[in-house]
Amino acid sequence: MPYSTIAPAEAKPVANYKMATRMEGGRLLYISGQVAWDADGNIVGKGDIGVQARQVFQNLRRVLQATGGDLSHLLKITTYITKIEDFPAVAEVRRSIFQGELPASTLIVVKNLFHPDFLIEVEGVAVIG
Amino acid sequence: MDRQNVLAENPVEQGRGFMPAVSVNPSRVLFTAGLTGRTPDGAVAAGGMAAQTSRACERLQAILTHAGASFSDVIKQLVYVTDFDAYNTSGRAARAAFFGAARPASTGLVVRQLADPALLIEVELVADLGGSPQGKPLLEKYNAENHPGDFYQGVIVNGGRLLYIAGQVANNPDGSVAGVGDWRRQAEKVYENIGHVLRAAGATPAQAVKETTWVLSIESWRQHGPAVRRAFYQGDFPASTLVEIQGLARPEFLVEIEVIAAVA
Repeated sequence: MPYSTIAPAEAKPVANYKMATRMEGGRLLYISGQVAWDADGNIVGKGDIGVQARQVFQNLRRVLQATGGDLSHLLKITTYITKIEDFPAVAEVRRSIFQGELPASTLIVVKNLFHPDFLIEVEGVAVIG
Repeated sequence: MDRQNVLAENPVEQGRGFMPAVSVNPSRVLFTAGLTGRTPDGAVAAGGMAAQTSRACERLQAILTHAGASFSDVIKQLVYVTDFDAYNTSGRAARAAFFGAARPASTGLVVRQLADPALLIEVELVADLGGSPQGKPLLEKYNAENHPGDFYQGVIVNGGRLLYIAGQVANNPDGSVAGVGDWRRQAEKVYENIGHVLRAAGATPAQAVKETTWVLSIESWRQHGPAVRRAFYQGDFPASTLVEIQGLARPEFLVEIEVIAAVA
């Protein structure tokens, strides 16, 4: 994979993600914030953070796979949720989907996303090729 | 330029004003600060969401033009609004007047507050400039207009390796939180951590390209954060965005800062 993982001894991540990634070649891919839309554009898992989180990461993977890549190509993700109480469920879904170390990561609790039914949105930057 | 749009032909995606993803050869990439509807005198444009959105886009256009780019070169947008209903009724149309048929990758967030309580919208962009970086400095930092802020409106990366740093919080290596309830100490610790990561990656603070500062209170941040930030960057600031949000990963965290940097 054309990126390096930066892991300073003096500063550690607070969970299972990379502190930083440095692109070493390839193409830069910016991925839109993914929300719990199914393939037809319908919102799935209204009121259910676990269902929405799974759909969001499936959608993220689908975008990466369309470029010939996968989750392992991600340099960084940003996870936006609307309630901090939802975080444990999101963390569980992320653990099951990534099955190892996450890319560099940021978690933010915002007031709302761009539809009142969205509970989570995840955007990513990746390196492909 | 060799931009590739991802899943662009999918009929569901076509109905949206943005692309699922966009890839480019990162030979020359522009990162803008978050731009708002401020007028040249620093006031907020009168006329609500439509006027603020138009003004923000006008300023972004000037930043793009300075780099020889246009809205069709934008690969990613991040739109922060404080009033989502107002964005739907008048902001979207005002934005569309500038973007036209351009469809970048996009993220939209409703946040608690922007740098001034009167601000309703802030937009930041990443654009693909194309062309050869040969003979150009690693970073070109510039302002398209005069402003009093400690940031540049645009930073161009010429051929460097991009470094994406996770959002940094005030945690110690043992996992404990530094400066519980103490804005000043958390600001210091966050920048200490950013400094460690930059050094480990072979970069200096001057090589920061874009910074996003997420805080639980802009008012408290203003009292304690800027002095620590100025000492860190020593005048060589990145493009930046400051946003007030509801919460971070742990209740003790008051601020989280993420940085994109570039290494030759």
